[in-house]
Amino acid sequence: MKRRRDRERSQVNQAYWARNPQGPFATLIGVAATYCHPEAYDGAYEDLTARARSAAPDDEEIHVFRAELREALADPSRLPDDELFKAVQFSDGSNEAFLRRLWHDLYGDEP
Amino acid sequence: MGEIRDGQEEPEHVNRPEMPAIDDTGAARQQVEPRSRAGYAAELERHVALVTFEPRRAGLQEVSVNDATAYLDKHHAERPWLSVARDYPPEVQRIFAALDRGGGHAHIRHEGWVTEEMNERRVRNLEDPAQLHPAKRMAGVDGVKVGDQPHRCGSIATRITDPEAFATAFAQGIKHPDVRAALDSPGPVPRPVSLPISVILGDDGHKFCSGWRLEPVNGSILEALANRAAWVAGNRDVPEPEARPVETFEGGTVTYVFRASTVGGHEISTMYADPSDEEAT
Repeated sequence: MKRRRDRERSQVNQAYWARNPQGPFATLIGVAATYCHPEAYDGAYEDLTARARSAAPDDEEIHVFRAELREALADPSRLPDDELFKAVQFSDGSNEAFLRRLWHDLYGDEP
Repeated sequence: MGEIRDGQEEPEHVNRPEMPAIDDTGAARQQVEPRSRAGYAAELERHVALVTFEPRRAGLQEVSVNDATAYLDKHHAERPWLSVARDYPPEVQRIFAALDRGGGHAHIRHEGWVTEEMNERRVRNLEDPAQLHPAKRMAGVDGVKVGDQPHRCGSIATRITDPEAFATAFAQGIKHPDVRAALDSPGPVPRPVSLPISVILGDDGHKFCSGWRLEPVNGSILEALANRAAWVAGNRDVPEPEARPVETFEGGTVTYVFRASTVGGHEISTMYADPSDEEAT
């Protein structure tokens, strides 16, 4: 019953990560949309920075986010169509430029 | 009574004389009541959502109808986005007052007080409608964020043009299971939820939406956003940004974005309409 309810809900929610919860880079795109979109709340980007830098061991979402960010940077062509841009609306000019800035801001020079 | 309970919803016509060909009863009925039964039920549900709205369920401070009216009367001069709601029913005013006392900006940037020109200038030149100081607005200074931070905007700036439709979209949205799950979640800030406009405001809901989109540069919207950022920063080696109106919001969505609430849990940081992906093509 719960599974059916979840499926009905996700069919209504049009966001990429809701339509494709297991889809490629769903966590990266969802988290980036939450904290990096121009309509995100004041201080959102700083909150993401703090959350990423001091990630709690049980903060599974942020650990998956980091892994997917690293994976996307290694090969940005694997990102699904223009879903990252649609969700984040960055002004960096390309997916790769945005991802590089994000990694640098969150993790500095970490490999 | 039993016949009513057990019978079909519509009477059968088998034993009735045929209607004359010139009879216009159907047309007259259509003029009086153009909605289907399902349409009427959906409209009633939206009205109920509006009149039974509870600010606390949206992570907002409680406010009574009387206090809401007084709040709008007291603050509309210095907070002009409140003015548009003053001529609307008390339940609409209540939502505006509750939102204005919260931390979100949906009613400031994505509602009917914003004019077409303000939205066009926002998307083309990053002039924030929420910035009430004219020089700061022209300089691209954000009107909501603390300190003189630069305003940001995606490739589209939109609004719900009617205060009652806007209030309904908010009240109806917080009842949706996905939005409820986000508002009630105890963890970090939940991801945005995008729901079809037709689900939130009915089949004609898109008619209450308006907006402007940035023109692509060299066929690329990514390049257009980078170009706009450079232009606003003073670089005149790039082409001046241009914008055009969104043609239709049919098939579009209403997105609910979240933030931590001052009264605990989460609240809606903003709510805005988006056209469908097909609209741009």
